[in-house]
Amino acid sequence: MFLEAVDVFEKKDSKRKAMIDFLSQPVGLTHYLIVGAVMFVAGLVCMATKRNALGVLMGIELVLNGANLNFVAFGSGFLIRNPAYQLGLDGQIISLFVIVLAAAEAAIALAIVLNFYNNHSTVDVDRADELKG
Amino acid sequence: MNYEQLVQFVIGDTGESLGKFVPELILCGSILLMLLLRLFDFTRRLLPSWFIALVGVTAAFVYSAPWVFLADGGQISRSEIFTGMLVYDTFTVYFRALLTFATALFIILTRLTGLANRENDSDFYTLVLGATVGMCLMASANHFLIVFLSIEMASIPSYALVGILKSNRKSSEASMKYAVYGAGAAGIMLYGISLLAGISGSAHLPTIAWRLSQGIGADYQLVLVLAALMLLVGMAFKLSAVPFHFWCPDAFEGASAEVNGFLSVVSKAAALALLVRLAVGFSLPPAAEPVMGANEVVMASGDQRANPAAAGLMIAKQQNAPIFATAWAEDSRQGHDPPSVAEVVPVADAPADAGATPTRTFLAYVIAIMAAVTCTFGNLAAYGQTNIKRLLAYSTIAHAGYMMMPIAAGLLMLENNPLGATEAFAALLLYAFLYVFMNLGAFAIVAFVRNAIGSEEIVDYAGLVRSSPGLVFCFAAILFSLIGLPPLAGFLAKLVIFSGLVNAGMFWLLFIAGANTVISLFYYLNVLRVMIFDPEPETREPIHFPMISLRGIYVAVLTAPMVLLIIQWNGLYEWAIAACKNLAGA
Repeated sequence: MFLEAVDVFEKKDSKRKAMIDFLSQPVGLTHYLIVGAVMFVAGLVCMATKRNALGVLMGIELVLNGANLNFVAFGSGFLIRNPAYQLGLDGQIISLFVIVLAAAEAAIALAIVLNFYNNHSTVDVDRADELKG
Repeated sequence: MNYEQLVQFVIGDTGESLGKFVPELILCGSILLMLLLRLFDFTRRLLPSWFIALVGVTAAFVYSAPWVFLADGGQISRSEIFTGMLVYDTFTVYFRALLTFATALFIILTRLTGLANRENDSDFYTLVLGATVGMCLMASANHFLIVFLSIEMASIPSYALVGILKSNRKSSEASMKYAVYGAGAAGIMLYGISLLAGISGSAHLPTIAWRLSQGIGADYQLVLVLAALMLLVGMAFKLSAVPFHFWCPDAFEGASAEVNGFLSVVSKAAALALLVRLAVGFSLPPAAEPVMGANEVVMASGDQRANPAAAGLMIAKQQNAPIFATAWAEDSRQGHDPPSVAEVVPVADAPADAGATPTRTFLAYVIAIMAAVTCTFGNLAAYGQTNIKRLLAYSTIAHAGYMMMPIAAGLLMLENNPLGATEAFAALLLYAFLYVFMNLGAFAIVAFVRNAIGSEEIVDYAGLVRSSPGLVFCFAAILFSLIGLPPLAGFLAKLVIFSGLVNAGMFWLLFIAGANTVISLFYYLNVLRVMIFDPEPETREPIHFPMISLRGIYVAVLTAPMVLLIIQWNGLYEWAIAACKNLAGA
């Protein structure tokens, strides 16, 4: 039934067929990498535009998790690109370590932001402008 | 390889590795001891944290034993420990010794200036030792997991150290800026690592280098360049190289002077070591496919006791010898054939006059340009500074530039002139060692003067020579050494770096470095002018800094090498050469 539908689309519109082809592919490495890249860019934008220090920290978490997703995808045995050059278990292990490190980093950064709040009564990064020159 | 063999291999490998990992283990043990002893009041009084930290760092220094391993041109050859995660060679030994030595000096300094008081001293020294462990790992990293892990291990305690003055507005702002920039740079670096590891299918540094040299990533060249640049962002942040230097002056102005000494000396040395490891690792791929964690000893034993994946890979390689014979490679090549570097200039057939593979030339010139810009920017920006810590921060940036220059020179000479490359890297090692005394001395004096007059503005240093001539003499020796004037140790350091640049034929970089030395003359001498010629301000009471006191002796001890090392420095240089002999394979 689905294939018939595709046939109909084929007659109507070749662009749409290409789209259907793309969407009906089995989920592969590329899909994961795209999600990872989107998370990375979203994180970067978040880091660059947020004025709230906590928002910036969230951006950093997004960047780290985007990279993490890449590691998991590259390391997965089900998304094989070339068996001889597979990242394998290394990828999963690295992502586990990164999760732990991200937690440590968030803990320290939150403590530092809290300390900043105690001294400046704000968490606005634009207000951190006493040091310059 | 069955399960039992695997367990046997891991047990044997770990046992062997732990023996080569003693300094780091001692540091970790000291951290645990400090945390345990703070639980009870009487133990805290019996064994104060600074004492445990100092003993731990000294023990780590003694166990790294450079006088044993670096004697007579190096006593050990390169070996990979912990199944290829770390590399243990003379370079590791040198940097371990350097980092623990500088940390020991730093701990004594914090004790003398009273930075860590009784309430927070175990926190403070735990952070310091934790950062030192991370920095030692940076110097011996051989796997991208360790590269990222060690950078974070060194950075995260540093954020807290910068903000250790809790109720200080400037300190809290500095630590927030440092933490946000640092975490962002680390995230970008991690993404770069993920791309690189994904393309080459390995996170083991020699394996990646070998695969890239075989043209594995040739279809994804744009991605590779992107990954390399992202890696460079993380490294440039740690080195405070332009354009990722913004945090450095701010963090240094807000943090206490002692912590600045630690960051500018120890952290920078570790970052340079890691940069050398990465740059040389990528520029000089191993001749054959490296097996992760397999050393000569293991290979020689005949059975495939390397890790199972690697052993399997070796068998696969023997069965279908050429790599591109796999169907996958054929498929990916039929459709489109972008010009791949590895195909245009194969490593083996590189023309003799070109001398370097494209990767190597690319890396060398990126590092050289970064070094030139960093150096010039640091020196120019230091001009308008009125705060001594900010001035020294820009001076630190400039010196990071000087120290990156021999890396570029060494990379260019890596293949054609291994001896020259070894000497260039040795110049960096010598500079890093002398820099410990120069910069830690400068920041120690800043800290002592701050304790005396409560100010860090250069104006308030006016007329210091009248009340405490000994201190000003030491500061003058250190500043002249930072400039690199002839009778002092700084001259020596610059001389070896410049000779490395001449050997590599990078005369444009030599010219920039020379011009920068002249520029730096003025702002360093300005500090001296204020201290010696300006009249003492009425508002400031005269400070007396007796040289016959613990503080005075500390400053004198840090200054002494500036004057004395010029007489006898061959032994030190030989150690530095020995430390680099495994790098270039000379």
